[in-house]
Amino acid sequence: MNKTKVTFKVNRKQVFLEVGPKERLIDTLRNQLKLTGTKEGCGIGECGACTVILNGEAVHSCLILTGQLEGSEVLTVEGLEIKGKPDPLQQAFIDCNAVQCGFCTPGMLMSAKALLMHNPHPTREEIKTALEGNLCRCTGYEQIIEAIESVAK
Amino acid sequence: MIDYDFLSASGLEEALNYLYKLNQVKVIAGGTDILVNIHNKSKRLPEISYLLDISNIGTLNFIRQVDHYVEIGPLVTHSGLMHEPLVKEKLPLLSCAAHYIGSTQIRNRGTIGGNICNASPAADLLPPLIALRAEVELTYRKGKRVLSLEEFLAGPYKTKIQINELLTKIRIPLPGDGYYTDFQKIGRRKALSISRLNLAVVVKIDEENIFRDARIVPGSATPYPQSLPGVERAVNGQSIHKINIEEIGRIMSEEVVSVTGIRWSTPYKKPVISTLVQRALKEVIKEKSKNE
Repeated sequence: MNKTKVTFKVNRKQVFLEVGPKERLIDTLRNQLKLTGTKEGCGIGECGACTVILNGEAVHSCLILTGQLEGSEVLTVEGLEIKGKPDPLQQAFIDCNAVQCGFCTPGMLMSAKALLMHNPHPTREEIKTALEGNLCRCTGYEQIIEAIESVAK
Repeated sequence: MIDYDFLSASGLEEALNYLYKLNQVKVIAGGTDILVNIHNKSKRLPEISYLLDISNIGTLNFIRQVDHYVEIGPLVTHSGLMHEPLVKEKLPLLSCAAHYIGSTQIRNRGTIGGNICNASPAADLLPPLIALRAEVELTYRKGKRVLSLEEFLAGPYKTKIQINELLTKIRIPLPGDGYYTDFQKIGRRKALSISRLNLAVVVKIDEENIFRDARIVPGSATPYPQSLPGVERAVNGQSIHKINIEEIGRIMSEEVVSVTGIRWSTPYKKPVISTLVQRALKEVIKEKSKNE
């Protein structure tokens, strides 16, 4: 099986990789780049745990082959922190108790971040739409929405 | 075990050459259907030797108006259809249907070309595109051909695309003055749901308030989306004030059952499709009355 050479940016740093034909972005992030913040839940685009930001848009990293990413820019939950300081959104999740088991949190953060990048002052409805592809089985949606609202004001 | 080699084309010619030279090539763009099928080892997947990525072919990503047509590149995402002002303004039916697809992440990645070529009976874009009389342009190494979308669809998950062809354009004639459109969808829940039933209606209401040129296309109701000439005939020529909408609902559900035969889902789908067409016609009449 052939390997594909691909160059793209992850969290503002250029990466040069060789990837297999079946390697998905989530595999590359977790196995090659050791960025294990991004979680795999369902693997079929239903749960949103693997959400990352690709070229400014929230996407499922389980439904993208890394070979497709030449020239792209990926932002993962690890890239939210800048110079050791958490993103205001991360701080809001802590302050609003928006984390229970934490498995959905990286995906929730990335969906919320993508929303705020396009629309810094979303309504509650817009927040819900942005999160419609993210499941939280602890069902802590209220606190999550509250956290996002607190930085969107 | 599904085994394939990965190929990436940066231009149309390169993609067409791959399709011409190699066998068992499956095209991937957004991947929101095919990677799910690969993950689930779906029986729907054909034998694949090569997966050909076209997602970086910039010339296949466009939305433009050419005379009385809107032309859409196959790589335009569902989010693109939702937000592009030209589509929102001239083809609100299409941006409305795109809104109902999957979730934000799916809409950011899934494409109109993929939705057409995957040809799911439940595809949310197919009923509106058929109702709008969309055409698809298929390109091969030495030429191209154009088919109406309705003609292009050949069965559930089946189209008439040849192995050496690529979908390169979707061409939609702009509905003229006096046309009204509506989209209805029922899923098991609001977000991330596959349509249990959906329905697109495009219809003209003339100066005398008479329905003309009705196009009524349900999704998930027939083996693959198709227009229903019987119910369309029943609507045409009726006054918006006098039309017996319940009767139209009855004709609609009878016609759907005549296509599908009685199936396990018929006791559910029959009354629901009747309700959807009634809702859609009521919306259209309401919209027309607002404009008066």
